[in-house]
Amino acid sequence: MALYAQPPTSYSDPTTAPIEHRFNPYSDNGGSILAIAGKDFSVIAGDTRQSEGYNIQTRYARKVWQLTDKVVLATNGFSADGNNFVKRVKQRLEWYEHAHHKPMGLKSIARMIQTLLYGKRFFPYYVYNILGGIEEDGSGAVYSFDPVGSYEREACRAAGAAQSLIQPFLDNQVYFKNQQPEPGAAPFVAGNLPLSTILSLVVDSFTSATERHIEVGDGMEIYVVMNKGRTTDDLIGPGILSEGMHVEELGALGEGGGERTFLVTSPLKRD
Amino acid sequence: MSHHPAMWKQPSAHSSFNDYATFPLAQTQRHSAISHGATQHTQQPLVTGTSVLGIKFDKGVMIAADNLASYGSLARFRDIQRLHPLGKHTLLGVAGDMSDYQWLKKELDALLRQEEALSLTDSHPSLSPSNIYDLLANLFYGRRSKMNPVWNAVLVGGWDKNKKESFLAFIDLLGTTYTAPTLATGFGAHLAQPLLREAFEAKAGVDGKGPLLTQEEGEKLIDDCMKVLFYRDARSINKYQVAIITEEGITISDSKSAPTEWSFAEGLRGYGAQTQ
Amino acid sequence: MTSIGTGYDLSVSTYSPDGRLFQVEYANKAVEAAGVAIGLRCTDGVVLGVERLLHSKLLVKGANRRIASVDEHIGMASAGLLADGKFLGSRGRDEASSFRDNYNSPVTVQILSDRLSAFLQAYTCYGSVRPFGLSTLLGGVDKTGPKLFCIEPSGVYYGYRACAVGKGKALAKTELEKIVSKEADGQPGISVREAVKEIARIIYLVHDDNKDKDFELEMTWICTESGNKHAPVPADLLVEAEAAAKAALEEGMEED
Repeated sequence: MALYAQPPTSYSDPTTAPIEHRFNPYSDNGGSILAIAGKDFSVIAGDTRQSEGYNIQTRYARKVWQLTDKVVLATNGFSADGNNFVKRVKQRLEWYEHAHHKPMGLKSIARMIQTLLYGKRFFPYYVYNILGGIEEDGSGAVYSFDPVGSYEREACRAAGAAQSLIQPFLDNQVYFKNQQPEPGAAPFVAGNLPLSTILSLVVDSFTSATERHIEVGDGMEIYVVMNKGRTTDDLIGPGILSEGMHVEELGALGEGGGERTFLVTSPLKRD
Repeated sequence: MSHHPAMWKQPSAHSSFNDYATFPLAQTQRHSAISHGATQHTQQPLVTGTSVLGIKFDKGVMIAADNLASYGSLARFRDIQRLHPLGKHTLLGVAGDMSDYQWLKKELDALLRQEEALSLTDSHPSLSPSNIYDLLANLFYGRRSKMNPVWNAVLVGGWDKNKKESFLAFIDLLGTTYTAPTLATGFGAHLAQPLLREAFEAKAGVDGKGPLLTQEEGEKLIDDCMKVLFYRDARSINKYQVAIITEEGITISDSKSAPTEWSFAEGLRGYGAQTQ
Repeated sequence: MTSIGTGYDLSVSTYSPDGRLFQVEYANKAVEAAGVAIGLRCTDGVVLGVERLLHSKLLVKGANRRIASVDEHIGMASAGLLADGKFLGSRGRDEASSFRDNYNSPVTVQILSDRLSAFLQAYTCYGSVRPFGLSTLLGGVDKTGPKLFCIEPSGVYYGYRACAVGKGKALAKTELEKIVSKEADGQPGISVREAVKEIARIIYLVHDDNKDKDFELEMTWICTESGNKHAPVPADLLVEAEAAAKAALEEGMEED
């Protein structure tokens, strides 16, 4: 990644300048994540491969984390930073609950993540974060961050090794970029796709990225957060998920405001 | 903060300036940056150990490492044990800088002795393998974040007495952590890991849900991998130990060698007798 | 208590006209109120035993131990203020670990006693502190063999073949003298297994069922059998020793 590439060994004469060996505190552990918001739900997903260079370190390492009953965070980049960043976020969420007797809301977590990231502006967490969940008004939401805390709310976002493969696909399918409605047909409205469509987009994104990017593969974890009262008929039931996929409901972390989180898992190619 | 009564009502012993020259004995700050120069950090490893291998088998975990500590390309110390037990059910296999490894051993042994004394005094539970692993992960990540890395790659193997399951995980100088049923550091990650995964998946399947290797199969596999590493890793030696961690505890084998075959090399230019 | 009201007993930094430190003497009173602690040096190790008085029936069985581990090979039984005992145990662990750091070898019981006694003594020199209400038995096996020391609130410490501190220490010491005198007469010394029974017997003997609260017997040892590590006396041996102690007590009563 270009963000923290080594500076040139010499700014003047490359033949006489001493070669400086300096400890590089960063690594890139590959993998990809994405999230797409629906009207009253949000989908956050990542693959499970962790790699360094051409080595697969493990075929299962978690990149997507359930933070509260309505918020899920995906991290991508340098895994040590990612794990330790998530640890700090979870600790801050616990402190917040002790102080205020309620879980932190999505937009507040988003702002807090900005603060935590910017707090290390001059020795950054080399992590791209995507936050998804249910907003206070019940709408599905996605927030995406850069490593030093710049963030915005979006309808969808992909990040990581296969960002350049997946994001244009999502732009086309979610934002209808480069598409023209049939003459006389109603104009496209960006976002608000049905859950079944979004699940297909996620699965296609990862299977395709697995085909074309060596750092993506092994397995896939898709978190689906639903607003309270929403039907689950389009997720649970015979014939909804394709062969080999598995879905389970994750129990409420807090007192449970009625929001429900489901984890859909699926194997990806391992080569 | 010292609790010695001589410290009570004294001007702060922790300030750099001693207003009244009344510090109690041995409490003055002797380690100032001025007398020692700028703080030195490990910038490169000097004496190093090469690959460590680890696999889970049906009754526990085994970890192997050879007995060599190299000084660059010089095979400097040929009888170094790189497997270190911590308590009854946890073991480290360490690659990388050997002085950092010795420091690590010292720190962890002192910590475990303290824990052991406390467990006898206040009957609190002993540290599990995952407790020790988390501690190491925090230590390594903390040190890398201070730009003063602990220059090692470590496999932690163990048996969790409460969960009744084996434990195997990796940490390196960056604080990177991961776990898998087969692990290898350094050259082993390139040469041995594919062999380990192949053998593991042949029985357990790609989902790992099938039967695991037996101890005999595991030891055979490790022996094969150590031989391949000795043939191809120039910083290795054909003298290694295998540690086995099960519910019963830890056993570390005596040093052993893999049988090797070099007759083919006689015909190689630069090895056998030169014909022209 | 001729000291009371004279004004010389308020600070540990003030002597009485006849050269006594009353605060230190009061600290000894705190020790005398505590359940007895006994240490016995044997041919093959050291045994520590305490009479842990139970101030409430609500206490968990076996909890709130009075014998602490200081290092792998050293145990510490104290009589007096329990909190002071915990603090001294913690200091002992720090000293033992710092010794290992500096010299790469386990601390001897003698050196550890010396360091802890200096620590206690410092609490008899300053007006802002109080002395430890504690007499401590340090037992262990080191490169010099089995060793037993007792540190008193004043900071003074002596090495012993056998020692008792706390309530009923006088009677306990007479009993210990009988055991130790056999060795002085040229007979073979006592083994740790025998010592466990003797200590149990003495603690039951010293305990006054009518006046004292109920107690639990707590015993640890450092010996060949435990690999020269500080460890609890095996449960079956302890049960056996307690049964023998109770039987001996019954027998003694019939004789009276």
